[in-house]
Amino acid sequence: MLRLIRTESFKLSRKLKSWLGPQLILVLVLIAFPLSIDISQYDLDKFYFSIIVISLMMTAFISTEGMFEEDFEDGSLEQEFLLEQDFYKIVLSKMLIYVFFIGIPIALIGSLFLITNGADFDDLPKVFSILCLSNILLFNLFSFGNALSINKGAMLGVLTSLPLALPVIILLGRAVRTIQYGEGFFSIIILMSGISLIVLAIMPIVISAALKTHID
Amino acid sequence: MYPYLLFIGITTLMIGWIWGVLYAPEDFQQGNSYRIIFLHVPASIFAQTIYYFMSICALMHIVWRVKLAAYLIKSAAPIGAMITFIALFSGSIWGIPTWGTWWQWDARITSTLILFIMYLGILTLHGSFSNLEKADRLMSILVIVGVVNLPIIKKSVDWWSTLHQPASISTSGSSIDPSMLMPLLISIVGLGFTLISLGILSSRLYILNREKNKKWVLEHV
Repeated sequence: MLRLIRTESFKLSRKLKSWLGPQLILVLVLIAFPLSIDISQYDLDKFYFSIIVISLMMTAFISTEGMFEEDFEDGSLEQEFLLEQDFYKIVLSKMLIYVFFIGIPIALIGSLFLITNGADFDDLPKVFSILCLSNILLFNLFSFGNALSINKGAMLGVLTSLPLALPVIILLGRAVRTIQYGEGFFSIIILMSGISLIVLAIMPIVISAALKTHID
Repeated sequence: MYPYLLFIGITTLMIGWIWGVLYAPEDFQQGNSYRIIFLHVPASIFAQTIYYFMSICALMHIVWRVKLAAYLIKSAAPIGAMITFIALFSGSIWGIPTWGTWWQWDARITSTLILFIMYLGILTLHGSFSNLEKADRLMSILVIVGVVNLPIIKKSVDWWSTLHQPASISTSGSSIDPSMLMPLLISIVGLGFTLISLGILSSRLYILNREKNKKWVLEHV
């Protein structure tokens, strides 16, 4: 497992566009959105969390788009499978590395932008933890969609994974309200942590099954 | 067998609709606009039922590698997409006189839209691969994962404060007057038979198409 994590982190760190690109896109969207609409700062304070959530969803999708495609195309996915005889560890290590290199930074960027747009500074840990958990969920769901479609383009990946991501967005909407009203935050964070753990445990098995089908 | 089922289905559906539209009493709050329930409710029920059926087939295909189960999923998915679209469309029409809007980002409506996108995703995924065995397997995986949406649709009216009303018919009873309930139940049964017969026809055609190079198909045709 450690060898896989080392390999994956080395591979991702060499692909600058894969980990830096999504972060820059997120920053661009978060800067451009308020400029493109004519609303007061008061309205923006209310809407900005939703803008971050949707931008995060887009970024998560862009980040995972090539997660398996390149490895599949150049045969390294098959080679890893022959070495490990199991995809679970490969998928899990990929997921952990992607969340660590991309998910956590974009959660931090989102939290900082929110603070600069009117949110209370004391809410920073709450916002950051919610965005981190939602990233774990979104990265898993989108990588599932991309594992199914693998080299068939983004449209198919979106069609297959977006229906699964929408309940996460609804849950995030509820989390946003708990932060804004200052009530029920701990129950929602416990719920999200539970769902994230379940998804993190089960989704690599499902993704492995999809990848195995491609290699068979 | 399917022509008989189709005949029974359409006849029962017509009885339910004629009874519901012409003879059932007017609703004291919604007037005549409520009569769309004789289409909307059966369509909504079967939109989810078809997905349950597909998920059982997907499990059979993944676990026991039953080839026929994958054929059934592929045949049922367009019917599921069609009936989900009818449920959404009829709901929109009903929304105008009751809510004053065609569309509302309400939990039940949105989750049903997600189900519709799911059906489209399943069909697109299967259509994207030239290797049909691979397509069958990937489609089954997606169907199983998509099951997670069904309890969300079912419970959406209880978990969130929604514009959509909670279920009127449950195992503990019904809040609908019997004079309206009877034609509704007949419409549900009628649509059920119609969809089963369409499912049989669709799977028959699909199996013949998939197995067209086999000897038994040539003999059969």
